[in-house]
Amino acid sequence: MDATDAIPAVRLDGVSKQFADSYAVHDLDLDIEAGHFFSLLGPSGCGKTTSLRMIGGFTDPTEGSVLLAGEDVTGLPPNKRNVNTVFQSYALFDHLSIADNIAFGLKRKGVDRAETHKRVAEMLDLVQLGGLADRMPRTLSGGQRQRVALARALVNRPAVLLLDEPLAALDLKLRRQMQVELKQIQREVGITFVFVTHDQDEALTMSDRIAVLNAGRVEQCGTPEDIYEHPASRFVASFMGTSNLMTGTYRAGEVALDQGPALPVGRRSGITDGTAVSVSVRPEKIWLSDFEQDMPVLSGVIRETVYSGPTTTYLIEIAPGVTLSVLEQNTARARMEDRWSGGETVEFGWRPEHCLVLA
Amino acid sequence: MTLVKTSPAAAPARTAPKPRSRRGRAERRPRVLLAVTGLFFALLYLPIAVVALFSFNSRKSLTVFGGFSLRWYRAFAHDDVLLSSLGTSLRISLVAMAGSVVLGVALALGLVRCRTRLGSLAGLVMLVPLITPEIVTGVASMLLFKGLGVALSTTTVMLSEITFSISYVTVVLRSRVAALNPEVEEAAMDLGATRWQAVRLVTLPALLPAVLASAVLIFALVFDDFVLAYFTTGVDPQPLSVRIYSAIRFGVQPTINAVGTLMLAGSVCLIALALFIPRLFGRRGGLDILSGE
Repeated sequence: MDATDAIPAVRLDGVSKQFADSYAVHDLDLDIEAGHFFSLLGPSGCGKTTSLRMIGGFTDPTEGSVLLAGEDVTGLPPNKRNVNTVFQSYALFDHLSIADNIAFGLKRKGVDRAETHKRVAEMLDLVQLGGLADRMPRTLSGGQRQRVALARALVNRPAVLLLDEPLAALDLKLRRQMQVELKQIQREVGITFVFVTHDQDEALTMSDRIAVLNAGRVEQCGTPEDIYEHPASRFVASFMGTSNLMTGTYRAGEVALDQGPALPVGRRSGITDGTAVSVSVRPEKIWLSDFEQDMPVLSGVIRETVYSGPTTTYLIEIAPGVTLSVLEQNTARARMEDRWSGGETVEFGWRPEHCLVLA
Repeated sequence: MTLVKTSPAAAPARTAPKPRSRRGRAERRPRVLLAVTGLFFALLYLPIAVVALFSFNSRKSLTVFGGFSLRWYRAFAHDDVLLSSLGTSLRISLVAMAGSVVLGVALALGLVRCRTRLGSLAGLVMLVPLITPEIVTGVASMLLFKGLGVALSTTTVMLSEITFSISYVTVVLRSRVAALNPEVEEAAMDLGATRWQAVRLVTLPALLPAVLASAVLIFALVFDDFVLAYFTTGVDPQPLSVRIYSAIRFGVQPTINAVGTLMLAGSVCLIALALFIPRLFGRRGGLDILSGE
């Protein structure tokens, strides 16, 4: 982030994609810095895959332009772009061995045989498939096929690697492992990764930056911490993790909930009195004891206790029909006698900065 | 089968008789099936078996078997007319195979990818030759060539056979093309291939088993075809089937039995090949690309 005037690896400039009478992507502006692990995150149908396909050259935008390293590539076919793609289905060539799959791109570029051999072997090592060069794709497991797809794209040393939900087909354990591995590989090769996912955990753990997409538009773009801690909209707050979202009216440093008490939120610039707003508090940001000096403290009734190993979730009713979810860590310091049970009235509070007002 | 009622202690006794009765039924079932199957195969293959048997007859008779001999095979080997017809038939089959496979695969690719109204119309029209009586196709082809002033010859047979065979290739290939993952072709282009290279290097190899199987099928169909060949052939080098038909009109020669047996053997080999082709592609290793295309 040293130079803001550095040429971005990928720039989408006012890009739209219209299908019949609806927009898959609407007036999208996006800069992706070179060397970053960048995630396009959103629910299905938000336009993230369409955006990726426009960067790869598989779909042409109806408006706007796509720039790679400052060069306008709008309208160029995929084979004329210095990007490679890892497809969701992996799209391996079933009639070719693993080594031939990986060598495919080099062969097209006319790289000589010795060099091809060397680079294929390097890639196989990088993705830990050393002994499988001569195997056929259909004899591999899902995780192995995924690695082959990755190696086949990376061997071409593209400026940007596009990944279309590459982990979606893997089981949870393998997915966690591949998340770590993918991030390591990205750091090792230093190539810009553009990663499409609908899984917010995946985006949070792997990315340098995340763009949250909704209905063809960018809702928010920033670091994982930014996005999680300071969601810019109600959509982002509810899409990223769990939030206690409530609606109310802002008035002089307080939000009077539509149903329930007034929550002190501190003065906010840009929001005038009487504005209808949403309030968001993360469950893990709510305290149930040891309150600090200037913390607003309210009370409610525990309606449900959900124990899940490392954490316990309490559902606290603060007004008829309004429940807050509160997450407590079951750390060594937590004392068993301090646990509450259903029906008890408890006090709770939060630091004012953790109560977000979303216009 | 309620011999023993609901006493838990007797449960093992109840399960015991079951396998026996099932085995009993299993013994009875095939007898009927075997008879039907046997009858079916007898009706189907006895005439052919007779032809094959009498092709090895040492006598000229078509009713009395005199002893084993290769006499009629030798006669066929010296019959220049039949041999030239065999050559003609092989040539027609090969050309028709190549032509209809190329056009049929192209049509299959086009029909699957072109999702317009005209495309689906073409898909329906494509099926018409499959249900048209062959004699109609034959007469129509002949009238067309006559109308255009084209003299009937081996070439006109080839053209008609290609036209007639395209549908078979397309029907076989169409579902295979539809089952292809479109991302695979995109992956090839992503890795630097042009559209045509992607088709050649990725799509066609994926279709190869189906392409080869349909090629074998077309070869066998065209080689055996009589009706279409009869209407569209010229006089001099006649396809084998037409030649055999003409020969039989002047009295059946046992040589024909030998020819028929050889054709049968050839067809069996082709069918075996068609069945075996997909297995060839089941497991394959090696560095196809590294060792050069």
